[in-house]
Amino acid sequence: METKKIIDEALAEGRRALLEYEAEEIFSNYGIPVSPGRLARNAGEAEAVAGEIGFPVVMKIMSPQIVHKSDAGGVKVGLTRPEDVAAAWDEIMDNAAAYDPSARIKGILVQKMISESGGREVIVGASTDPQFGPVIMFGLGGIFVEVLKDVSFRVAPVSPEEALRQIREIRTIAILDGVRGNGPIDFTALADLISRVSRLMLEQPRVSELDANPILASEDGVRALDARIILA
Amino acid sequence: MGENLQDLYRELDVFFHPRGVAVLGASRKEKKVGHTVLKGLISGGEVPRPGLQGFRGGIYPVNPKEKEILGLTCYPSITDIPDPVDIAIFCIPNTAVSAAMRQCVEKGVRGAIILTAGFGEAGPEGKQLQEEFVAIAREGGIRVIGPNCLGCLYPPNDLNASFGITLPYPGQVALFSQSGALVDCIIDWSLSQQYGFSAMVSYGNKADLDVPDFLAWASQDECTRAISLYIEGVGDGRRFIETASQVSRLKPIVVLKAGRSVKGTKAVSSHTGSLSGSYAVYAGVFRQAGIITADNLTELLSISQALAFQPLMKGRRVAIVTNGGACGVMCTDYCQEVGLDLPDPPPEMIDRLDSSGLIHPAWSRNNPFDIVGDAGPERYRAVLEEVMSSDLYDGVIVIQTLQAVTDNLGDAKIVVEMSKTYRKPVIAAFMGGVISREGIDYLSEHHIPNFFDVKAAAYTMKALADYGQYRARVSD
Repeated sequence: METKKIIDEALAEGRRALLEYEAEEIFSNYGIPVSPGRLARNAGEAEAVAGEIGFPVVMKIMSPQIVHKSDAGGVKVGLTRPEDVAAAWDEIMDNAAAYDPSARIKGILVQKMISESGGREVIVGASTDPQFGPVIMFGLGGIFVEVLKDVSFRVAPVSPEEALRQIREIRTIAILDGVRGNGPIDFTALADLISRVSRLMLEQPRVSELDANPILASEDGVRALDARIILA
Repeated sequence: MGENLQDLYRELDVFFHPRGVAVLGASRKEKKVGHTVLKGLISGGEVPRPGLQGFRGGIYPVNPKEKEILGLTCYPSITDIPDPVDIAIFCIPNTAVSAAMRQCVEKGVRGAIILTAGFGEAGPEGKQLQEEFVAIAREGGIRVIGPNCLGCLYPPNDLNASFGITLPYPGQVALFSQSGALVDCIIDWSLSQQYGFSAMVSYGNKADLDVPDFLAWASQDECTRAISLYIEGVGDGRRFIETASQVSRLKPIVVLKAGRSVKGTKAVSSHTGSLSGSYAVYAGVFRQAGIITADNLTELLSISQALAFQPLMKGRRVAIVTNGGACGVMCTDYCQEVGLDLPDPPPEMIDRLDSSGLIHPAWSRNNPFDIVGDAGPERYRAVLEEVMSSDLYDGVIVIQTLQAVTDNLGDAKIVVEMSKTYRKPVIAAFMGGVISREGIDYLSEHHIPNFFDVKAAAYTMKALADYGQYRARVSD
């Protein structure tokens, strides 16, 4: 679906936080790699999607009222067979109903489960600075951003060349260059992703903040494993 | 996209090359701002220094209560002045500024410098007064510096259009500061260092003219070779980045940004009423725009001076030449700390030096080039010729520790000669004080950056390398 339409519909529903599948669709529209997957509105559709994208899959409840999906029992991972998908559908729906009976359920996102071996987690975030407009943040995932605050910033637009310089500013860059038997990550792909995020922020003034966290970066590419967009 | 730097230069240059300057609120009383400013225009400033002179264009005190001040005719209103007046310095209460601005419009003034405080930084009423006079100025074609500022100094033209203590020596660094008090201190310090400025502007509340405007002017000013900024907040951040990116391709910009800590950020807001966001974002912005960051005031000034006088550095490879081993080691530590490369001399270079008959047999044969404590000017020359002419090194740090046999003036002359011959960045660390005075002063006169602490030498070299790298990148 067109980015404008996704945003229009969310705003029409009175929502400022896009659901993961909506944010991921916008990411896709901008050429930002995400996990293959689609929103399924019933169990049959879920099985069909799984068949299409290939096993193993993960399934996540999509509801504006259910923010902490795991806490609500709304996430199932490592599903390897169609029967598992069907069973997971029921389990997730039951859990959701128990967690919040009044929650409006859009459906369940069925996504390809990506192998994380050899990959390193990075974060790309964007916010709207009152002085500089859209600002893009980059860092390694987890404690590196949260505790060490090892992050670098640029103001949109960020060219791929500038993004590469931004990436290389972080103190723990050696992790991306490769330690403990890992080779270097695909810097070109990561720089390209940052550049595309900056373009998204500039072209979509209704987007106030976004997070691609985590992004799995490995030797042959990068992929956002989750997506969050907050509208202005 | 982007500013027209030349248009902005033409608009702002009136503040630096006016035909006539009016002082609104000029006073006979010595303690008054209106007296200090007038005196500054007439004589250059309160503090004498060699070569100090006053402004040779028209100076017009304005004060309805006086007929004459300091030997000049005093006019009741700016509109009574018969000659052209390009700029007016406002030393009048905040409540009187709007009315005076209207008269300036009538007179055809093109620039106003408003020293008075009590505007945007002082609450809602002040903010309203500020908006009022800005609107009058904008409609009347007047650009405004301030309010709540020290003013504007342009030593190459002996123009002290400010409340500052005196005109600094003329030089090649243009300083733009959000703080007036800082400018005053720097002027005082600069006199003791013989450190000159092309221009100094304290811009206060930036109600009209802001940093991007001054950057644009400085980029075209023929006396300015490097730009120094002290900032707390930026206002229109996007305009700042766009203009700074354009300007930094032409001349180096060095910034000291205050308000890095949470408390510091709050202090910024009350100082000039400006917003200040996260420092980490600013750090990214500066790198993106090719701006060099200084960690403290000393760095801001020494890096700006080095960038103004030293040639563009083509890479990050540095040779350290020293007559004292310990200092060579320390310098190596700091150079590595800031990401400078220290390639070792190739065998051919070592052989040439060994066979020159000028080098000590126990010299290091390595980088740092430790040429031993008894090194004299000819030994320094031999090594400097090698490293300065070599494609292997982009810059040289020359350390001289003071030993009994050291000929510090002789060594200084060699350094200056080599610098002129090879046009490669040189930074000196002639470490001493009283006995090395002659050599140190000689370096200073010839604009070779010199430091007592090799850390400062290394960090300054880093700034040269970073800027050189940026220029090489953007010129592709």
